[in-house]
Amino acid sequence: MVLPGAIWLLLFSYLPMPGIVMAFKTYRLVRPPEDALIQNKFIYSLIKSPWVGLENFRYLTLPTNVDATLTYIRNTVLYNLLFMVVGLVLSVALAVVIFELTNRFLAKLYHSIFFLPFFISWIVVAYVVYALGSSQGIVNSIITPMGFAPIEVYKEKLAWPFIFLIANIWKYTGNGSIIYLATITGIDRELYEAAAIDGAGKWKQFTNITLPHLIPVIVLLQILAVGRIFGSDFDMFYTLPNGAALVRDVTQTLDVFVYGMLRSNLPLGYPAAAAFLQSIVGFILILITNAIVRKTKPEMALF
Amino acid sequence: MDIPIKPKANSIDKFFSPKQKRQRDMLALSPVTNAVLTILLAIGCILTLIPIYVIVIASLTSEASLLTHGYRLWPKEFSTMAYTFLFSQGSIVITAYKNTIISTIAGTVLSVLMVGLYAYPLSRPNFKFRRFFTFFAFFTMLFGGGLVAYYMVTRQILQIQNSLWALFLPSAFSPFWVIVMRTFYQTNVPNEVIESARIDGASEWRTLFQIVMPLAVPGLATVALFSAIGIWNNFFNCLLLVDEAKYYSLQFTIYTTLNNIRFLLENADKMAGLVNVSELPSQTFRMSMAVVTVGPIIFAYPFFQRYFIRGLTLGAVKG
Repeated sequence: MVLPGAIWLLLFSYLPMPGIVMAFKTYRLVRPPEDALIQNKFIYSLIKSPWVGLENFRYLTLPTNVDATLTYIRNTVLYNLLFMVVGLVLSVALAVVIFELTNRFLAKLYHSIFFLPFFISWIVVAYVVYALGSSQGIVNSIITPMGFAPIEVYKEKLAWPFIFLIANIWKYTGNGSIIYLATITGIDRELYEAAAIDGAGKWKQFTNITLPHLIPVIVLLQILAVGRIFGSDFDMFYTLPNGAALVRDVTQTLDVFVYGMLRSNLPLGYPAAAAFLQSIVGFILILITNAIVRKTKPEMALF
Repeated sequence: MDIPIKPKANSIDKFFSPKQKRQRDMLALSPVTNAVLTILLAIGCILTLIPIYVIVIASLTSEASLLTHGYRLWPKEFSTMAYTFLFSQGSIVITAYKNTIISTIAGTVLSVLMVGLYAYPLSRPNFKFRRFFTFFAFFTMLFGGGLVAYYMVTRQILQIQNSLWALFLPSAFSPFWVIVMRTFYQTNVPNEVIESARIDGASEWRTLFQIVMPLAVPGLATVALFSAIGIWNNFFNCLLLVDEAKYYSLQFTIYTTLNNIRFLLENADKMAGLVNVSELPSQTFRMSMAVVTVGPIIFAYPFFQRYFIRGLTLGAVKG
């Protein structure tokens, strides 16, 4: 029964893993000779390609490139931290408020509406950004008659952190709140009643009952999020800015950077080196975070 | 990897069900707080719906009004021209639609089957390699070979590029949903039911398909819904693995359209004489493309909704 899934994992997840050594090689395509044991061009070339040590990483830190590399790392990490914190706070808040609403019909309606954006692709969001923020966009049709100078988002660096943050909140808050809502509905009501009798207000109840029940889920999700801190929501960062070169400094993340190098004429070792950093750093971070959690609260550790 | 929350069965259903009266008079919010929160959430909902409104309105604006007045929250002239045009001759859109529908169906069926099958033995205490296969799936959530290796493997070894396979096979399985489904089986299918089926002589497979899976419909429906959304909205697979227009997915097609036009409009002055801007596919046409992209997947929501909240909460997530 596990066979189909195991084969899929083997092909799509485990097979690429050894390929990580590309970061330390100069990959050259060689046609395998007739009598070679391995006839696959990629595997054969990968084995035959010379080891070059840290040469590929040196490319990322050349004086001409080091600024770009650091900028993209900064973007990736900062956006991730921002989304982690804001996403967590808003999702928990939404779950609590939805749960507390007296009118159950409204609670369900609201939750359905907040969940809706999860169904909408980033490409459609890119259209929305265009319709709102391009030179002919709605924002300009509103603010120019009021005497403000027209804005064009594809040229405006300052706008992008806000666009990404709002887009991220818009798309994921409803979905993120489901798990917290589920946890809250599972908490024994008698705890709250006892607290209320003892005179605890809503806020006291939240900090002393709700929050402690949510902590295990929060810790778990944050550990996983830390592991992805060098990754990013590729579709969002790639499609929303629509390739606008002027705002690349604030929109490009490592994922998009790696993809760009992969599709350029650069040797494959360069993007492989950046991808290696992503995989390894993410993996190490998740191990460290988990170890810290295990030290302090063993029952909340991921593994 | 243990599941940190195990809500009482159906507690969230009861919460959302208007028939059940919650006994929480003592715990009810004060009317004022309740009113304030209701209004705040209502504002939040309106803000949430604005982007959807914007794109629908833009697609209904007449082209002439767009060219003279730009996009507006309430257009001067309405027109359904774009939609008529879209369905009369938008052949690239129709091909892309076909590709996306086929791959969404195939990918959803595949992922429900593969996840459902993989998770079941992991939920059974007597499966010998339980720990191994749990780890086998879980490890891929922590570590990966990186984009470059993935690109080379899918193109050079698996060779799924430029085919419909490329659009759904990479998304047809998910270790995350395996963990969720495993917990779902554990909490929702009583061990006794499985054992009695086995005693009555049902094979492992028959037990799974006729006893266990019907009991696990909410969980499986949740997997189906999320994988359908994932594949319908998938852009990356097509970007990475497809170079031929006849295999383009819907999302990829509408993205390239937006991208091309924006480039042409911005550089129109440099290319004066080369491109006649007024001959470009109309703006409203593009917006209508975005709208019809959203359509079908939104319609899937009500069908799955009765299952999915329960599926999510009982399989209650864990990495």
